[in-house]
Amino acid sequence: MKCYVPGSNVKVLGRTVHALARFGDELYLESLPECMLLRTLNAAESAYAMVKFNKNFFSYFNYNYYSTEDNEGLKCKISMKSALNTFKSPTHMDKQVENLEIKLDPEACKLIFQLKCKHGIVKTHYVSILDCKAMQAVYTKDSVPNRITSSQRLLSEALTNFQSSDDQVTLEASTQSFILRNYTECSADSLKVIRTQINLKPLEFTSYTIGTETTITFTLKEFRALLSFAEALSLPIQLHFETTGRPAVFIVHNGSTFEAHFVLATSKADNATQATATQNTTIDRKRKESSFQDSARKKVHIDNDISKCLDEDSHLFNFIDIPDEIPPPSALFNGDGAINGVNEETNNVNSSKINNDIDSDHIPASPTAKAMIKSVFRRCFESTFDPRAIRGVILAEDSDSE
Amino acid sequence: MKFRAVMIDAGPMREFTNIVTTISKLSKECVLRIASDQLYFIVSDENSGPAPPILWCEIPHSIFFSEYQMVGLDEQHKDIYLGFNSGNLARSLITLKSAKTLKMKLTKKQGPCLTLDIEVPSACSQQTRQVTHDIPIVVIPRKMWSDFQEPRTPQPDVSIELPTLKQLRTTIDRMKTMAAEVVIRASAEGRLTLQIKTDMAKVSTRFKDLRVETYGGPIDHSDSESETQINEDMSKVCHCRVDAKKLSMFLSADSISHNRTVCSIIHKKLVILCLQTEENVKLQCFITGIVY
Amino acid sequence: MDEETSQYYFTASMDSGKTLCSLLKAIQFQESAVFCALPEGLKFTVEEGKCVQASAYVPADNFTEYHVRDDVDVMFKISVAVLAECLNIFGSGEESSLKMYYRCEGSPLLLVLQPQSVYNVMTDCEIFTQTADSVLELRDEDCPEVAKLVLKAPAFLGLLSDLERSCDIIEINLSPEHPHVSIVTYGMQDRSCIEVPKSSDMVQSFSCEEPVTLKYQLHHVRLIMKALAISTKVVLRCSSNGLLLLQLKLEKEDQRQMFSEFYIVPLLDD
Repeated sequence: MKCYVPGSNVKVLGRTVHALARFGDELYLESLPECMLLRTLNAAESAYAMVKFNKNFFSYFNYNYYSTEDNEGLKCKISMKSALNTFKSPTHMDKQVENLEIKLDPEACKLIFQLKCKHGIVKTHYVSILDCKAMQAVYTKDSVPNRITSSQRLLSEALTNFQSSDDQVTLEASTQSFILRNYTECSADSLKVIRTQINLKPLEFTSYTIGTETTITFTLKEFRALLSFAEALSLPIQLHFETTGRPAVFIVHNGSTFEAHFVLATSKADNATQATATQNTTIDRKRKESSFQDSARKKVHIDNDISKCLDEDSHLFNFIDIPDEIPPPSALFNGDGAINGVNEETNNVNSSKINNDIDSDHIPASPTAKAMIKSVFRRCFESTFDPRAIRGVILAEDSDSE
Repeated sequence: MKFRAVMIDAGPMREFTNIVTTISKLSKECVLRIASDQLYFIVSDENSGPAPPILWCEIPHSIFFSEYQMVGLDEQHKDIYLGFNSGNLARSLITLKSAKTLKMKLTKKQGPCLTLDIEVPSACSQQTRQVTHDIPIVVIPRKMWSDFQEPRTPQPDVSIELPTLKQLRTTIDRMKTMAAEVVIRASAEGRLTLQIKTDMAKVSTRFKDLRVETYGGPIDHSDSESETQINEDMSKVCHCRVDAKKLSMFLSADSISHNRTVCSIIHKKLVILCLQTEENVKLQCFITGIVY
Repeated sequence: MDEETSQYYFTASMDSGKTLCSLLKAIQFQESAVFCALPEGLKFTVEEGKCVQASAYVPADNFTEYHVRDDVDVMFKISVAVLAECLNIFGSGEESSLKMYYRCEGSPLLLVLQPQSVYNVMTDCEIFTQTADSVLELRDEDCPEVAKLVLKAPAFLGLLSDLERSCDIIEINLSPEHPHVSIVTYGMQDRSCIEVPKSSDMVQSFSCEEPVTLKYQLHHVRLIMKALAISTKVVLRCSSNGLLLLQLKLEKEDQRQMFSEFYIVPLLDD
């Protein structure tokens, strides 16, 4: 890949990297014919960010420059620290940087960022590529009952009323009101903590549609990160969310050159003050089950190491690991979102197992079978799955009423 | 027990915030005594056991609150004593910066709370929004009330009006990086000296022509070697050694708009700093002297 | 100064000690400094190991009064942190007049400060002194200068601020060929390179006969940043033995100048 970012957009890229850095420690880049994608996932796998830069964001964009395969774009992972080092102070970059060139140096396995600055100064960063994979999460953006558009200022102002020590927030949305409350895990300390609540009126939002009254809880750290991103670029935020347990999607875009999706896992806030430990466990389990449902349709890979993942909690995302040899997306799924087949070129030893599992794809998976569960999780070798293709399709039936 | 008070003016809101912020710098724990005529903030020394307060602040409610209702513990004991974390209250009051109204009341949520209902105008629209903070409190039982009475101190040796707190704070902040203790020296002739002494340096900041409030009579220096200035009448001079950090924390009260601050010294034993504002708020800080 | 102090080893007065205070803070990376009162002006020297030597130099014309006895060496060791705090005793928002007195060998350095806007307060400081260890002479007369670069201080500060702090080594390449100046840092897995052509706005002069590559500890070079922040111009001189000298000039409003200087010893190739 090779592209040029004009001076005025370098700041946007810088702000993006700073926002993504507050989510995860690794940055995934992928170049496609029409756009470049930056993605990251946080360590707890409860927050995911994806920012798409369209071709018109760049003054020059060649998605597969230097590629060995004809149609191959770039897919790589670099350390977030390296990315931050390149975009140290986004505010200054605006005035100093005239042009940024990003290109792949395939021989050295490095991604080269070259900033041409004023006064003839050139800064070049040779960033090591840690891995040649892409990463993607699956989430529902459009067929959600609740959609709100808000100026970033409204939400930023509301958040100033919370303590910096607050780490989770509960959002209670109804047609009449929008309430934000700080949330603490129930413990001995919770009795000593200030409880803060802010009531906002639906009229304060640019657009407000609540199809289903919902209460969701998510972490403030990433929420604050995406708010400052919107604030730095003076853009509004769209919130798309549905029921408890489903991820909430926050969208920031400028309508033409880039679009950012921030996806936060949600949980149910315990209204009871003294929720016992067992209650919490139940919630976790339910979360896991609903996500199993989601992923059941898409899983095609069995990785023997996955069993280890099951012990970890809150996997709300179907985490797809894409090896280099997979052909372009169109060939691989049919209309109803199920996976068609797998690329024979995959020299993955598990390919035979993959084929078997495709048949079981259509069975509404009950999460009890351990073998099934194993197949679901994080690393699913699958073709490039484009969430946009499944617009309007429910990814999973409701497993049970919660 | 009931308590409900409403504040609607920006001035009192700002002053109230500044007072609580200053208190939160001095100590994490604080006691609020709600009486029919005044509010009292009381801080005791955290490190020792039951001890007389080190900070005593009186706020007459009439200037601050447009509405003020309280019902005490019972007929004989008409006050309410509450313990809370001062940092919590200070941080909640940050919302007051742009607020229209503040309502404080005692509530019972998951436990007894001081609830602040703040109405804040939105910068984005004509709407106002409601922000509620529930600050957990502890109701202090009647038998402990005697621990929180106003400290009675003997007649000071010298009481002198201090120069502006901001000036003092700048200097003490520089001094506290060099030494842990400061000696405050006041003379009935209107001179005040702040002095530190370490292995590396001796630094003295000397103020003169300050107004003397009271002079309790000749001070006895026979038991010690005091540093004398030339032409100084030692019977009119008293001094006290205090912790520099504590002094600096009190001086952060410079944010409270005040008329004057008086420093009273009981030779070698105690320093009392008393700040008074136009609204008759009185903030007193008691710093015990360090004696070797 | 009066009769009493005329026999003092050193006395000086200044309208405002603020700039002197900033300059001292810029070389305050060690506990103590060597204070030297020369006929031409005051010099403070700080050393870190045998690798870095920094000096602040205040020419005599910065003082309203400046007197050094010519029959003695006025040189002693003093805490630079305490000196800087004392100079700042009335805060940075206040211009305070400064008087300095050093009676004789072993005396404390006496400072008297008075703020210009408040009449009824003054501060006197006695800062204890010790015998000075000799100052290291890093310059080698036999090693000629191989390159000299004059840069605008704020721009150079911007460059240094941009370097990744976690890197240990900074490599400076100077060459008569384009791109004349390049600064390289090596991280854990990455490498960053800044190229400054001599035609750049931030370069005021550049002379270099032969290409030269020098390596220094990044931490040492970063020590100049506080001084850079208050200076207008910086001159980099490289000797044939790799010793780097950075000379920084600070200009006050009254056109008087103060200087700071940093000698940095290079890293030897393994």
